[in-house]
Amino acid sequence: MASIIRPTLLRQTGLAASITRRAASAAAAPTSIFALNSAFRSTVAKDAMRVAAFHASSRRSLLPPGPQVIKGSVNDPAPVPEPHSTHGSYHWTFERAIAAGLIPLTVAPFAAGTLNPGTDAALCALMLVHSHLGFQAVIIDYVPTSRYPGLRKACMWLLNAATVLVGVGLYEFETNDVGVTEAIKRVWKA
Amino acid sequence: MAALRSTSSRLLAAASRPAAGPTMFARTMASVSSATTEANPKGSADTRMKSFQIYRWNPDTPTEKPRMQTYTLDLNKTGPMVLDALVRIKNELDPTLTFRRSCREGICGSCAMNINGTNTLACLCRIPTDTTKEMKIYPLPHTYVVKDLVPDLTYFYKQYKSIKPYLQRDTPAPDGREYRQSKADRKKLDGLYECILCACCSTSCPSYWWNAEEYLGPAILLQSYRWLADSRDEKKAERQAALDNSMSLYRCHTILNCTRTCPKGLNPGLAIAEIKKSMAF
Repeated sequence: MASIIRPTLLRQTGLAASITRRAASAAAAPTSIFALNSAFRSTVAKDAMRVAAFHASSRRSLLPPGPQVIKGSVNDPAPVPEPHSTHGSYHWTFERAIAAGLIPLTVAPFAAGTLNPGTDAALCALMLVHSHLGFQAVIIDYVPTSRYPGLRKACMWLLNAATVLVGVGLYEFETNDVGVTEAIKRVWKA
Repeated sequence: MAALRSTSSRLLAAASRPAAGPTMFARTMASVSSATTEANPKGSADTRMKSFQIYRWNPDTPTEKPRMQTYTLDLNKTGPMVLDALVRIKNELDPTLTFRRSCREGICGSCAMNINGTNTLACLCRIPTDTTKEMKIYPLPHTYVVKDLVPDLTYFYKQYKSIKPYLQRDTPAPDGREYRQSKADRKKLDGLYECILCACCSTSCPSYWWNAEEYLGPAILLQSYRWLADSRDEKKAERQAALDNSMSLYRCHTILNCTRTCPKGLNPGLAIAEIKKSMAF
């Protein structure tokens, strides 16, 4: 969506910027208004198009790189982080186990043809953890601690809050309503 | 003797230059046919003019924005590879064009660049014969550019150094000679040792684009696996511990741009998967 809007938006802003720039220079050197006006239109339009074309093709505002910083001499190795299995190998194994566990849990209630609150609860719990880990990976990728430490913390807490909220919601849905599997069944047949 | 020979040949060449005349002048290293068609007008039957759009940025004028400059070459007088075209542009059209090159046969990894949207080695990439389409050449994506097509790979090499890319062993060889390995063990290193560290794969990896400071990237992880898989290396646990954190290895999301782009036909994605598997549980 953003990529569709961006060129038009930039054309607008480019136009606005060049108009104000022209207006300022015109005010400094007053000439005949009419002569200025026609000349003004064509050059402004041309400039704006040029600006827009440039920005529309080369603007990348997702994680823009800062200036290059090389710590130490070129012969020093890059720093090696402390080993942390809970964030490394265990985390990865846990992620895969959850994802693999979701497959039988998704199929089981429909294959068995019976609804069991136990499998439903397990499915909900695994789904919750799975999506939590997925969003966590997105945050780690796109909000680096080194660059945005505050935003990173905020994002993580927002995610925690969302997970708790969804957990409570699922619990309510399971205990006071029909439950996830039955809901999907009904929507499917509706 | 060799020095003498080169001097004498230079003298000979200087002497014969007037005799060789215009052909000598027009013919360059990169051109394959004789240069008699050089003066042919554009669009003649035996010229195939192809445009090359090349990224230009000069550090001497840092306030100027990078721009694309178009050069047109006759493909009939240019070698088949993109590097031939670049060398010809530098020799004949614009000596200020800057790029790295060395071996011209895909073994040094110097001429890695982004050609028509794919990271590859200019010396291994054929020029498409379709002359209606322009060819676009950029430096490796998401790198700090030194000049034109030359990227700064300082941090890439620092990361390579951080994985200790050498044999680590405490026990001496039993017979006091070289460390031996079985043919089967040696076979495990095939597809790993051929990597020339051209950085094509790492700079094609979105995870590496966003987190180059901490994530090691496919090229370095392939090398890491090359030492993990080596039967003679005795520091496997230490090597694995160095990767056992959230950033160094596990930012790989199996996008597989690395495998798709590798100009040597290697599979860094598989190597990373093997590391992850060996470290699971």
